Amino acid sequence: MNHDIDIKEIRKNCFRQSKVKGEFMLQMRVPGGIVAAKHLSMVQHIAETWGNGTFHIGTRQTFSLPGIKYESIDAVNAYIKDYIREIEVDTCGVDMDVNDAGYPTIGARNIVACIGNSHCIKANIDTTALARKLESIIFPSHYHIKISIAGCPNDCAKAHFTDFGIIGVTKTEYDYDRCIGCGKCVEACAHHATRVLSMEQAKVVKDECCCVGCGECVLACPTGAWSRVPTKFYRVMIGGRTGKKSPRMGKMFLNFVTEDVIIGIMKNWEKFSAEVLEHKPVYLHGGHLIDRAGYHKFKEMILDGVTLNPEAMVAQRIFWAETEYRSNINVLPVATK
Amino acid sequence: MSYTVSFERMNELIQSLQSNYKIFAPVRFEKRGRYSDTDMVRYANISCVEEIVHDEKSDFSPKEVVFPVTQAILYFTESEFMESRVHDKKILIFLRSCDIHGIRRLDNMFLRNGNVADFYYKRLREKVKFVLMECHDGWDTCFCVSMGSNETSDYSMAVRFHDDSLEIDVKDEEFEPMFGKEAQSDFTPEFVKQNAITVKIPDIRDKDTLHEVYNLPLWQSYNSRCQSCGACNAVCITCSCFTTTDVVYSENGRMGERRRVWASCQHEDFTAMAGGHRFRTTPGERLRFRALHKVYDYRQRFKTEQMCVGCGRCDDRCPEFISFSAMINRLSEEVDKLNEVKSK
Repeated sequence: MNHDIDIKEIRKNCFRQSKVKGEFMLQMRVPGGIVAAKHLSMVQHIAETWGNGTFHIGTRQTFSLPGIKYESIDAVNAYIKDYIREIEVDTCGVDMDVNDAGYPTIGARNIVACIGNSHCIKANIDTTALARKLESIIFPSHYHIKISIAGCPNDCAKAHFTDFGIIGVTKTEYDYDRCIGCGKCVEACAHHATRVLSMEQAKVVKDECCCVGCGECVLACPTGAWSRVPTKFYRVMIGGRTGKKSPRMGKMFLNFVTEDVIIGIMKNWEKFSAEVLEHKPVYLHGGHLIDRAGYHKFKEMILDGVTLNPEAMVAQRIFWAETEYRSNINVLPVATK
Repeated sequence: MSYTVSFERMNELIQSLQSNYKIFAPVRFEKRGRYSDTDMVRYANISCVEEIVHDEKSDFSPKEVVFPVTQAILYFTESEFMESRVHDKKILIFLRSCDIHGIRRLDNMFLRNGNVADFYYKRLREKVKFVLMECHDGWDTCFCVSMGSNETSDYSMAVRFHDDSLEIDVKDEEFEPMFGKEAQSDFTPEFVKQNAITVKIPDIRDKDTLHEVYNLPLWQSYNSRCQSCGACNAVCITCSCFTTTDVVYSENGRMGERRRVWASCQHEDFTAMAGGHRFRTTPGERLRFRALHKVYDYRQRFKTEQMCVGCGRCDDRCPEFISFSAMINRLSEEVDKLNEVKSK
């Protein structure tokens, strides 16, 4: 069949162009990568009714359904209405109209998260709850943003390689009298983390400066001398990205900030993007936006109106370390934009 | 006599008791557990009845009230020393039947083990009176019935918790006058009669069998599982090992203190000698030592019951899901096999 399709419009609707002409892959949002298992029957129905019978666990934790014909898109969109309402509106509190037209935008990408502390023994935070809160802030925005949330500095969610990587960290407290000086935490810190603990007079001392807030000391402690403070803290990595030209690992922007700070900066993201992109929501990694604005301008705009908690640490400057697949990739002729 | 007392009234009684007593009970420390967003329940000073966690098993035992994790023995300068002191109040502990039995085991270890009673234990222990917390069904890791620690009459008061009131059985004359105005009840504490698990104490009849037990392959099966963290020792009501250390103050290296701190037989350096020799170098050997101490050695020494009281906290706390009760049952099975061979 011959087609005359505006694939950019279709993509905005979360249908991705296939190499097979006239076919598309639907990408359904799964904020935080977790939904009730009952939705798999919906995935199966779409795949077997309109797709090619398979689904891909998307690299950003979407339900991705390939092989959907252009002619089927309207039927699929009507069918996923209930899912969109249940997940986006009822679960995440997203302010949006739900209708037969499917997803209103692909701009802000699905929020990736590890399983977090609802299951994982290493996690410091409830990644699912945070993903759902942030979903209501970033969606539905046409401005592109990728967020990954990791429950602990192991960073299984690859927060180091995304626009905004949020990592759950913990402030630990040490009860001197409960410590039996066994050194298990010292071993654990040296083995898993940054070797900030050492023995002194048969008790433990900590080099506060380099603690990554992983909580391995708490896990290792037989007596509960180490414990997490009840307040949750986060590290924010920025500007990480993959790509052909200049992939790079993100750098630490904030450390030991509270959830209020995370919510505050994410609310400023759209405004920052709009200003840098002159109000044209084109697809560009967040790292490039930060590069365009310059870190100091980014910092000023993203922290605008945000009250930092007393424990917060903020990067004064950022030294990016890009993988340059072509040497001096940032040194361009004047005529090039 | 037994009484029904509202929480409100009980709090007034607790307040008046506090002039003479420090009152300890299992208390919830929110989000202070090993894993994120889990709580820690351990013994601490209370000032009202609502603070008492009565419907969960505490993570840690009440032993730390009479045998603190870290305890100063004496303070020294170049030429003098001064003994450490303890508070001048008496102590009331809310605890369960298994823990009362457990503290009796500690009494044997500290007061009747050899010719000298441990001064530092004794001075705290003498202050203590027990308030028994009634158990309903116990928990899935409990095996108090198998260990014979499910029942006790060794208490000053016993309590059953209701939503906003307590029933109290007062046996101690010292406390009886406090309850003169309260409504009488016919409460007597009930005890757990059956646990979900049954544990059989190994029937080791002679030294030969004991030596064969040392070499059972079952111990080696723990080498890849046990992390030697010592959490089982820390939570155990009957573990009483400690290490004595002298520490010197950083501001003046000629002054300092001698203190004792809990020690764990599961830690690699527990048997370390001058020169570096260690008697038990694998996790399996260390678990064997612990298991036999809990169900065999103690009984040989004191000619009474076994040391373990079946509280099951070691099972609850083990990060590697090693079950002590399963270990003892495995051991008993092996010992039965050895006995059978011998009897033929």
